[in-house]
Amino acid sequence: MDLLLSPQLLASALVLGTLYALLALGLNLIYGTMRLLNIAHGEIVMIGGYVVYWASTLLSLHPFIATIAAALGAALLGVALFGSVLRPMLRSGELMARVEANSLLIFFGVSVILQNLAALAFTASPRGISFLDEIVEIGTLRIGADRLVVIIVGLAACFGCLALFRLTTLGLAIRAIIQQRDAAALVGIDIARTNMAVFALGFGVAGLAGGLVAMIEQVSPFMGFPYTIAAFIVIILGGLGNLTGSLVGGLLLGVVETYGVALTSASYRSILLYGVFIAILLIRPEGLFGKRRQR
Amino acid sequence: MKAERFLGAAIATSAIALTSSLAAAQEPVRIGYSISQTGIFADAAVSQQTAYELWQSEVNAEGGLLVDGERRPVEFVVYDDQSDQGQAVRIYESLITDDEVDLLAAPWGTALHFPIVGVLERYQFPVVGNTAASVQLQEVAPGNIWFPTSAIPDRIAARLVEIIQENGYSRVAVMALQLPFSLEVYEYVVPALEDAGIEIVVDETFPPGTNDITAMLVQAQNAQADAILSLTYPGESVMYMNQAREVGIEAPFQFVLVGPTIAFFSQIFGEGANGIVTIGHWSPNRDDWPGARAFFDNYTETFGFPPDYLDSVLAYMSMEILEQAVAEAGLDHDALREAISTGTFQTINGDIAFDGVQNATTPTMLLQLQGGVAEIVWPPVEATADYQPIGE
Amino acid sequence: MNRTAILPLVLALLFAAGLLLPALTTGYWLGVALTFFMWVGLVQSWVILSGLTGYLSLGHAVFYGLGAYVMVLTWGQMPFELAILSAGLACVLLAVAIGVPCLRVRGPYFVILTFGVSELVKFIVVNIEAGLGRAGRLIFGAPLIETLYYWIVVLALVATALAFLVSNSRLGSGLRAIREDETAAETTGVPVTRLKVIAFALSAFVPGMVGAVMVLRTTYFETIHVFNPITSFTIVTIAIIGGSDDVRGPILGAAFLMILSETLLVNAPEVYMIILGALLILFVLLVPKGIAGGLSGLLARRRREGAP
Repeated sequence: MDLLLSPQLLASALVLGTLYALLALGLNLIYGTMRLLNIAHGEIVMIGGYVVYWASTLLSLHPFIATIAAALGAALLGVALFGSVLRPMLRSGELMARVEANSLLIFFGVSVILQNLAALAFTASPRGISFLDEIVEIGTLRIGADRLVVIIVGLAACFGCLALFRLTTLGLAIRAIIQQRDAAALVGIDIARTNMAVFALGFGVAGLAGGLVAMIEQVSPFMGFPYTIAAFIVIILGGLGNLTGSLVGGLLLGVVETYGVALTSASYRSILLYGVFIAILLIRPEGLFGKRRQR
Repeated sequence: MKAERFLGAAIATSAIALTSSLAAAQEPVRIGYSISQTGIFADAAVSQQTAYELWQSEVNAEGGLLVDGERRPVEFVVYDDQSDQGQAVRIYESLITDDEVDLLAAPWGTALHFPIVGVLERYQFPVVGNTAASVQLQEVAPGNIWFPTSAIPDRIAARLVEIIQENGYSRVAVMALQLPFSLEVYEYVVPALEDAGIEIVVDETFPPGTNDITAMLVQAQNAQADAILSLTYPGESVMYMNQAREVGIEAPFQFVLVGPTIAFFSQIFGEGANGIVTIGHWSPNRDDWPGARAFFDNYTETFGFPPDYLDSVLAYMSMEILEQAVAEAGLDHDALREAISTGTFQTINGDIAFDGVQNATTPTMLLQLQGGVAEIVWPPVEATADYQPIGE
Repeated sequence: MNRTAILPLVLALLFAAGLLLPALTTGYWLGVALTFFMWVGLVQSWVILSGLTGYLSLGHAVFYGLGAYVMVLTWGQMPFELAILSAGLACVLLAVAIGVPCLRVRGPYFVILTFGVSELVKFIVVNIEAGLGRAGRLIFGAPLIETLYYWIVVLALVATALAFLVSNSRLGSGLRAIREDETAAETTGVPVTRLKVIAFALSAFVPGMVGAVMVLRTTYFETIHVFNPITSFTIVTIAIIGGSDDVRGPILGAAFLMILSETLLVNAPEVYMIILGALLILFVLLVPKGIAGGLSGLLARRRREGAP
């Protein structure tokens, strides 16, 4: 019982949960508006991680500033990808339908390309920066300052995005497209421009997550896949296209992973994670917080 | 790419060889091996590849490998196995039958050593292994592969119980990653601790991919464990270090299985890694091992980071053994097999002789990081420094 | 010559050449041919479900892995021929058990579901092995590569024949109807659930046996390696590049992959992977029917133009 009440466990759940939520937000945004399953999401995280690593070692940028650079860089990459490849395709209905139907395969190709470009450029050796490695004590809680930064920045970014969806016209447009794409176009929403903003935002958030990951872990070219998987599990939990759902789902997964393991056994960690994932897909494919689809 | 970075060193040394001796006129000795350049072993295999390259450049600088009284330059024939077992098997088959190499060196790790045993047996091709460690290697039929490591799980377990018992620790937390090497150590250490009457306060295994072990650490903390065995591979070892510090683990004995002897570990944790105990049977500070210090210095100077005390040393040793066996027996496989099986070899890890497939001379030891260097601390008769509990 | 007779003839020649190869060569070429026929067996099987119905399985590594696991568990307990067959049957059972709940889920949900199931089974086996105190199993006395090679060629042949028979049967038409419009097929009386489960079970049979044979090739079983998701991804890539609704597709795709990997993998493994990724994207977008479909299109056009 002591174990379950330990503030350490809560902090760990929060660190994991925040990262998961942030990862899922970007992925879900792109799926929600464009119906594209970006399996290369983890590679954007990897690129964000490398931006922070190189910017802070070569250019001696402060990791905070480097993380902002990582987010901006990833956002630019998103805009470039959208502008150069997807936008022209949007004009051809048939091609876009094919892209949508096979987005998983296409982005798998993208992911393989990005991984191996990174391996060619940076070698496979893992690299890490040493940053904020002192321990902060809050009451009886001890937490690494770097992990505290992850919680604060991550949650701030998540809530910032949610506020943007609720309060701005861009957010309104995004939500409209997620709910009724065809109707959104009819009421005069510029779909192409909104989608470009979505790509910038989705990639940017992934780049930010990469920057945060680089603060607490090593970066390497093949680090992305587990993050993609985690993000997928979360958006299934929260519901595909449900943005608030991915925040709640991310935190929930963090809790399941830390407390589920504490309650049962560490050896069940992956079985638990994939078990929850499969159960939700089979029983409530619209997600825990999604509305039942109209047939 | 890795290979290119090290090519510089190789070219520089072969240029010296060219001008300083007549060896260049000789036909080269071709040595084949597969390297995990991509895939899951890619980051780990660097330790081995670098040691091979260093050995090659040193031998070529001396004029080449001594074969039947003549020095012949060494040439490597290398393929990427993508960390895939099937690829490794294919590569060794074609190294033997199509490239027709003169000698073979080992691939990386237990997972790739075992698959090629069948190929070596079929073609009766002797290979000195290096980076494999498993109790199962005792079951491999002797004759075509030898394992110079003494860090075998059952023996490591026995040493751990010794050091824990003799230092009076009584409450042990064991956490093991569910991968072969760590799990084998776990399987031997838990019953050995029980037999010794030592209380095990945490006893858990966890799957690869786990990114939080706080729950186990808090349990260990609450149970006031004075000895912690983190049976982990490099990635999870880093996680242990970070989260143990966060939880505030102050156990005087902390053992981390794989990772502490690799350069990046000390780079990340610096002083914070001091006191960590790990496996290994080598230290540059043993004066009675000729060449140990020189190997450390040459390696560090060539690559810009220190060697892995375990894998780089084993890889280098395996080439030293091969070199001496070839000097005695030439390139004939049967003669070579006989020479390796019966000979005693002077290596950077002292004298080595084999009994069956195993190293019969080097005792199993434990290392401890002290002031950024790994010192042998156990057993005391082999030690280069005294064991120092953390926090004293 | 009758056009429909050409395909079986070419296929027969290919497999006959495959069976004769060990008499001519060993080493490198045998290794290449073994890998080629392994992929043919895996992809032809995958096509039975995914090519015909459009239900994309990203979890076929689970059958390869389970087959390998059955082999190591029964090694030394029963003749290995029997073990191979048991591995195939175990996978058929697994496919039925997974298929009944999972095949209700459609589109991208099904794709990630199959991936999730494959990973779940992998971690269950990891856990069982850890519980048994086993960590990697070494196999002694495995058959020679020639024996394993014949098995793989025969399995590739079985998978090709299965794919061919299913594709040209009423089952095949039913499966295609599901791909075109599942709801419509259901309303016209096609027993969609039963057909999908049968197709899934058939598509699991040969991959299980291939896994069982291939673990004898490496003689060392490590759960993480045999359940490697890369296997699933490679199967899909070959099918997409070769074409997945045509019995020639998997063969052309596997041949293409082998040529690419043998020329590039040795010297530039990263470049090989980059090219593979780019090809996957290009084929999905521009040649959705793969090399086989592209060829048919070219031939048909030439015939039309050539016709008076």
